[in-house]
Amino acid sequence: MPQLAGRLAKIALLLLALGSLYAVALHKHAQREEIRKAAVALTPGCTEKLGRYGLAPGKKYASSYVMERTGARVELRGYSEEDVRAIERGCNIIDDSQGALATDPWRERWNAKRFIRGNHVSCDHCHRGIGDLQDASGNRLPGSNSLAASWTMGDMYDRFTGLLLPYEMRQMQCYINSSNGYKPNVADDVIRDVTAYSRFLSAALDLKIANHYEEQGIDEIPASATLKQGDDYIRGEVLYNEKCQGCHGLQGIGLEVNGKLVAPAVAGPNSWNLQSRNNFYFVSTILAGFICRNMPPGQESTLQHQDCRDIAFYISNLPRPAGDRQGPVVALQQQLLMRVLPPLLRLTESSPSKSAAPAAETRAQPVLGHAE
Amino acid sequence: MDAARSHERPSWYAAVARVRGLAALAIIIAFLLWAHFASGIPVFHSDVSAEPGWEAFRSGYGVGYFGEDGQFVRAVQNGYNLFFHTHKYAARFTRKSAADGENSCASCHTVEQLAYSFVNSDRFDPKLGARVSFEDRVRRCYAGSIDGFVPTVYEPAVRDIRLLARAVAHHLQLSEGALSKEN
Repeated sequence: MPQLAGRLAKIALLLLALGSLYAVALHKHAQREEIRKAAVALTPGCTEKLGRYGLAPGKKYASSYVMERTGARVELRGYSEEDVRAIERGCNIIDDSQGALATDPWRERWNAKRFIRGNHVSCDHCHRGIGDLQDASGNRLPGSNSLAASWTMGDMYDRFTGLLLPYEMRQMQCYINSSNGYKPNVADDVIRDVTAYSRFLSAALDLKIANHYEEQGIDEIPASATLKQGDDYIRGEVLYNEKCQGCHGLQGIGLEVNGKLVAPAVAGPNSWNLQSRNNFYFVSTILAGFICRNMPPGQESTLQHQDCRDIAFYISNLPRPAGDRQGPVVALQQQLLMRVLPPLLRLTESSPSKSAAPAAETRAQPVLGHAE
Repeated sequence: MDAARSHERPSWYAAVARVRGLAALAIIIAFLLWAHFASGIPVFHSDVSAEPGWEAFRSGYGVGYFGEDGQFVRAVQNGYNLFFHTHKYAARFTRKSAADGENSCASCHTVEQLAYSFVNSDRFDPKLGARVSFEDRVRRCYAGSIDGFVPTVYEPAVRDIRLLARAVAHHLQLSEGALSKEN
């Protein structure tokens, strides 16, 4: 009899534990549903971007950008209030992945930063102009990593992974490697809302499915695009110290002033990892292309191809986290390098970055969404 | 009694009992070796069976634009097979026996409708009270219209239909939210 009572108690305990898990799951689902229905407070960048494209609920949608550029009114399917909120949340995640501008990052960004290690990375650092970079006249810029153009070419063969890579899985890769973080579920709101925003951009720009547009990806710089056709680490270091360290710091670990991010890390624990496509040793053409197109702020496209490759080569030699498939030995080695090297190097530095900090802040603020 | 029974067992039984763990492992290894090297069953093959109508579809919809025989084209071809011959290529999701009629996606939809559905997916559906992705729609078709089972979102039976829709949407030069003539 006591044996039976013991067994029944065990079964009851198991049922209670399972019931509690079920209750927590129901509560979380209800909480998510509530967030989906809540009004969205847009970041200043998203207010400007979505306002310009005329996003509003309605049965039909006609992009004001397309009308302005071509004079034609292209009528597309409109968006419901739920769709509009999803697009707005997606835009916010791109602009402010860390939730620095949010009063409650969980409610306003699905706490996207739980998938990011470190407190620097935001999607907008690579996908600039909130994923749709344009010049002052509204021309879309080639090689600007446009999310809209990326969506139209989603599901295609990806030369780096050897897979037909759906857009959602590409986002996962960004979280894992470029953010050195964790993989969200494919059906997570954090992924779906960014897809909704990217699809809206694609509608607003009237891009056609599976057409190649010049703004997709980065205009890469191969060694063959330089006269020297070889990369120089020492020259890269000199150029980095001259052009980049004022904002990104002597060891590339980024710059924060009064707890606010001024320039993101390009090395160290807050940066992308060794398996990111930004890493020169993995793909040698992408970071160089990004630097040439976007850096230094205010003097974009002034660097020569060789300069960008040399800087990218130098940056990629600074210690950074190991990738997700590199195993514990490389991970340990990189962790040691990240922790041991900076204090040692600091002893040898004359610390020009400290004096450069206020100037860097002034220079970087209009460019980086997190600066304010 | 036990002692008497053990006397009745053949002599090899005790030997096998002593090494039964190793024997099980040897059987598994032998099976794997046979399956890989001697069975003749293809473990992986990248070619897709050409069903009637594929070549006409391929040239009619300009699928060659994506490369003559790239991974994308093969996936589109698999999507084509799934769409027009669902009972054959997604049999495990259809809950149909040989005696049932041969339902396929093409029984209800055209590929053009599929493409328009793709560019209008990821939208809020008031009936379901949720935003529904293209993959969700396909999975609902498997479960509802085909009276079958729900594939996972990563399943080629779902993914390749999305790729088919993408290829047709490209051929029709659709943009996001494009409205068909019926709309």
